[in-house]
Order: sequence, then C-alpha cells, then structure tokens
Amino acid sequence: MTQARKTVGMELHHAIVSHYSAEARMLQNQQYREWFDTVIAEDIHYWMPVYEQRFVRDRRPEPTPGDAAIYNDDYGELKQRVDRLLTGQVWMEDPPSRIRYFVTNVEAFETAPGEFEVFSNVLVHRNRRQSEVYVHTLGREDKLRKAGEGFKVFNRKLILDARVVQDKNLYFFA
Amino acid sequence: MNGSAALVDNANASQSRRVFWDQDVYQLELERIFSRCWLMLGHDSLVPKSGDFITTYMAEDRVILSRQPDGSLKAFINSCTHRGNQVCHADSGSAKAFVCNYHGWVFGQDGALVDVPMEERCYHNDLDKSKLGLTQIRVETYKGFIFGCHDPEAPSLEEYLGDFCWYLDSIWDTPDGGMELLGPPLKSTLACNWKVPTENFVGDGYHVGWTHAAALQMIGGELSGLSGNRADMPFDDLGLQFTVRHGHGFGLIHNAASSIHVKRDGYVKYMDETRGAVREKLGPEREMLYVGHWNTSIFPNCSFLYGTNTFKIWHPRGPHEIEVWTYTMVPKGADAETKRSMQREAIRSFGTAGTLESDDGENMSSATYNNQGVITRRGRMNSSMGLNREGPHPVFPGIVGVSFIGETSYRGFYRFWQEMIDAPDWAAVKAGDADWDKMWTNRNFWPDRLAAQQAEPQD
Ligand code: FES
Ligand SMILES: [Fe+2]
Repeated sequence: MTQARKTVGMELHHAIVSHYSAEARMLQNQQYREWFDTVIAEDIHYWMPVYEQRFVRDRRPEPTPGDAAIYNDDYGELKQRVDRLLTGQVWMEDPPSRIRYFVTNVEAFETAPGEFEVFSNVLVHRNRRQSEVYVHTLGREDKLRKAGEGFKVFNRKLILDARVVQDKNLYFFA
Repeated sequence: MNGSAALVDNANASQSRRVFWDQDVYQLELERIFSRCWLMLGHDSLVPKSGDFITTYMAEDRVILSRQPDGSLKAFINSCTHRGNQVCHADSGSAKAFVCNYHGWVFGQDGALVDVPMEERCYHNDLDKSKLGLTQIRVETYKGFIFGCHDPEAPSLEEYLGDFCWYLDSIWDTPDGGMELLGPPLKSTLACNWKVPTENFVGDGYHVGWTHAAALQMIGGELSGLSGNRADMPFDDLGLQFTVRHGHGFGLIHNAASSIHVKRDGYVKYMDETRGAVREKLGPEREMLYVGHWNTSIFPNCSFLYGTNTFKIWHPRGPHEIEVWTYTMVPKGADAETKRSMQREAIRSFGTAGTLESDDGENMSSATYNNQGVITRRGRMNSSMGLNREGPHPVFPGIVGVSFIGETSYRGFYRFWQEMIDAPDWAAVKAGDADWDKMWTNRNFWPDRLAAQQAEPQD
C-alpha cells in the first residue's frame, strides 16, 4: 500500500485475526446460520467479480458491481444462499463436504473510528465424497466495523486467482 | 466404429453408456460433429466495433473472433503458422494485429500474415506470406448470434438451425431487437461428458423438482410447486417439449419466463410492455413462447435458459471433462438497470456459484465417471418418458411432446447425434431430410388430442 495509512496496533490486529479464525471455524463446522448472524452486517455487499485476461495495454476499467460477478449479493441474497444449505435437500452436501480455510497476510487499517479496511489471503481446500479435492486461492478485501465484542463485515470483495475455476462450483463462503 | 445402432436405439429410446465414456466415440464426435456442425462463438454485442476480438473455443480448438473494418466478422485458428504457438492470450480486447510471442510473426485482424521479423535479412524475401495466414473458419450470424463451422459442405447456418429459427425468432427477432449476450463469461471445468449438460438443458424438466428442491423452495414463486415433484401439479398443462431435424430442442413452461428471478420488477414490467408487440409481429403462439420459460440446447453444445437468461457453451475436453462458459442473455431493448438486474439474477441461479447450477454438478460428473467400471459401462441409459405422447403438430414445427416433463427432446437430440455419427459427410445427412422424423410413429397424436380438447366443454 502506498497510501500513508497506519496499520492497526498489535491488540486490534490480534482481535481481527482471531475474528477471522472464528469465522473460518464456523464455516468449517457448517454453522452457516451462526456465521451469518454473527459476522455479516445488514448493509453487506458480498462481491466476487469476474476478471478477464486482458493485455497490459488494455485501457478498459476494472469490473464494477454493475458487471458480471460470481457473487454480487446484498444481505437478503446472502441469506437465501445460507437458507438453501440448511434445507436438508442439497443432495451434493449429503453426506457433507469438508472444507478448510487458511487465512494469512492479514493487514488491517483503521479508516474511520471503529471501521477497518482489511486485506488477507485465503486458501480454501475442499474435499468431498471419496477422493475429490479442490483448491482455491483468493485475495480478500474487507471492510469491517466494530460490533459489540467483535466485528461485522459490511463489504467483502473476493478476488479469485484462477480464470477458469477448477471445481464443480464455488458454492462456499470465504 | 461400425454403425452406431448399438450406441443409440431410437425405437426403444435408449443409449449405450459408452457414449459418455469411450475415447473412440469421442474421437468420432470431434470429427463428425464438432468439425462439421455450426458451433456457438458468441454475439455481436461481444465484439461491437472494428478491431474488437474475443478468444474462444470450437470444441478443443482455440479460435480468435475478430470484427473487421467493414463490419463483417472473421474467425481463425489461434495457432501460429510458424511453429504453432498460441497467438493471442487475452480473453478480449481491441487489436489491429496479433503478434505471436515466440518469434514475433504478425497477423492482421483478418488473420493474414502481414509481417515477420527480419523478413529480408533472414528469409531473403523468400517467404510466401500469402499462404501462411491463420486457418480461417466459416462464420455466419443469426439475429446477432455468431456461429463458426469448419466444414465447407455444411448447410448455411440458417438451414442448419432450420425449423428451430421459427422458435428462436420468438425471442431473438422481437420488435424490440431480440437478445444479446453480456460477458465476460464465467468459466469453470467440470468432470463430465459434454452431452450430460447438453441433454439436461435440451429436455430435462424431470430433474428440476428433485435436484433443485432446495433452491426452488428458497426462491418461492411459480415454480416452487415443482419442488419435491408434488403429485398435484398438472404436468400435462404446464408446458410442452420440442425437437427438430438437426437435434435442437427445448422444454417450455408456460407463463414462467422470469420465475427463477427473485428481484424481477424491471423484467416483469418489460415483458408486460413488450408482449403485445410480439403478438402483433409473430402471432399468439409465439407470444406464448415469449412469456414462457425455456430450457434449450442448440446442437451440439450450446444451451440456454430463456427467462432465467443464463447462456452456456459446453466446450469438450476429452470424453470426461468440459470447460463451461456462462454468459447472460438479455433483451436488447431492456434498459441498462433491468439488464444488470437480469445478469445478477441469472448468475446467482446459474453461475459458478449458482443456487441451482451448484445442485447439478455431481449429477453430471457421476453419470460420466460411473462408467469407469466395465460392467457398468455395458449397461444402457433410458430416455423413454412420454414416448408416443408426441408427434407432428399442426402449428409448431418439428416434433412436439405433450409435457414439459418428458424426454421428447432427448430423443430428438440422440436421433440426430446418431445420424451425424453414422454419416460419412453432409451429403449423407441431407439425404435424410425428407423422413428424419419417421421414428415418431404416432402421427395423429396432436390432431386427435386437439380435436378431443375441442369437443370437451371448456370450463
Ligand atoms: S511460432 Fe509464432 S512466430 Fe514462431
Ligand atoms: Fe438443473
């Protein structure tokens, strides 16, 4: 980051990393409702844009939320995705898959009192059925705000590294 | 391979499982289907201006599609005529020339070789550049949709679509200008034979209530009644199924165009405002198609859902894998905000993280990979639902099946698949034009049924 921004102090940094660990744990344990209720703010924009392969000389702007995106959800839409998983009729998730998150390179900046911009790297490892394995790596750009003892995310941008997704689907939260 | 009778049995509506698995069947498909049929490349909307290009695939061949200064389109194989390097690695852009990274040969936006480094000093001007252009591909468009074909003997695109044009026109030739595609495409791989998703889109109304039970519940609305295949649904009145001479087909759910979209005010308003003009231009039958929901495949490997508006190309990667490209198809005449909202809803339901599409992945791959077992692979697959409750119709071209839940369009798809696999060339296929539909023996199904309905007092 070139802006003259200060990373948060050690204590806040620790709190944010712990928050991410708790979030990953809930998702790994399929506690989707708890995840949604404890970490998602009501003004969430949950966004995974589609980045094309373009030449360096290409002057077209970066994708915006008005463009194609794998996720482009508000609170209600994200809730629908959670509700679907909890119907008990998603056959692909019965028996359930295994998912494991590795969150690293957490870098947090205070942008306003109690509001933070946080960058992180996410490695997602999915196993399902007998021997299916899928691995995804993403960059994550969050906007968090303090909520009670913890944080809620009100802006999440997920930047996929792979142009062609090597998986049946991207139906997981990151 | 000697005759495909063992692979597809039309009379009994079954197929050998080998069609999803065998390498030699796949090689024959590459030669006799993908190298001979018109394949979907995109839409005018993806390459609007001179110099605009996209890179895409025709089966396993990489191609460049480029808009020419005179407004026409050219497509050529994306592989250098020097040592075969891939010429263009961008998904899209604007370029007057394509320069190969290896030794720097320069190809024009029409694919011609226009320059090579050190032509005078090292080739001594002996290189005949006019013979070293990129391999050209036939390109034709229908209502803005762009197709490519490798076979000079193939019929024109319009003949290839044939009777299906009558159906496509009800959505692609509306007074408002038809439809266009929004990119960039989502791309993902799926470990399945390309025919599994194609047959699913062409004719599988049956799986919707079961496979997508959870998503339908969550969405609510018109189609939530399908969730769990509730017995009280009037399946015969719900819609129809269609198939035509060259294997294209679709299933129709009446009055359900926008039903999978949750936020759809703009879409509903747009449909209400435009259906009258569609009726005026194309008649009441096609107004009925216009307001319905379609699950469609254009033979061989392009599928779309009209209404939900997802648009897919299933690029084969060997017999056991595909690369899925997903665009959104929207009415050109809709306002920008409505188009954006359609795109969001289409991707939310049928994108890579689609609430419905995510249900299907395992069905696709396991129907393929189960055939790893030789005993399993010796078996056959059944597609007999609604057999004989279908036939020629006095209004609708092709063959029409009585319900949206049936396998009419499967039968039409595999009938043509077999014909292409058996035929040594297009002339042999054309020789079958007159009696292509003879396997549908219940010729009076529709006249009888319509007469009986007329005789019944309406309530
Ligand atoms: S391979 Fe393309 S310039 Fe040599
Ligand atoms: Fe499906």
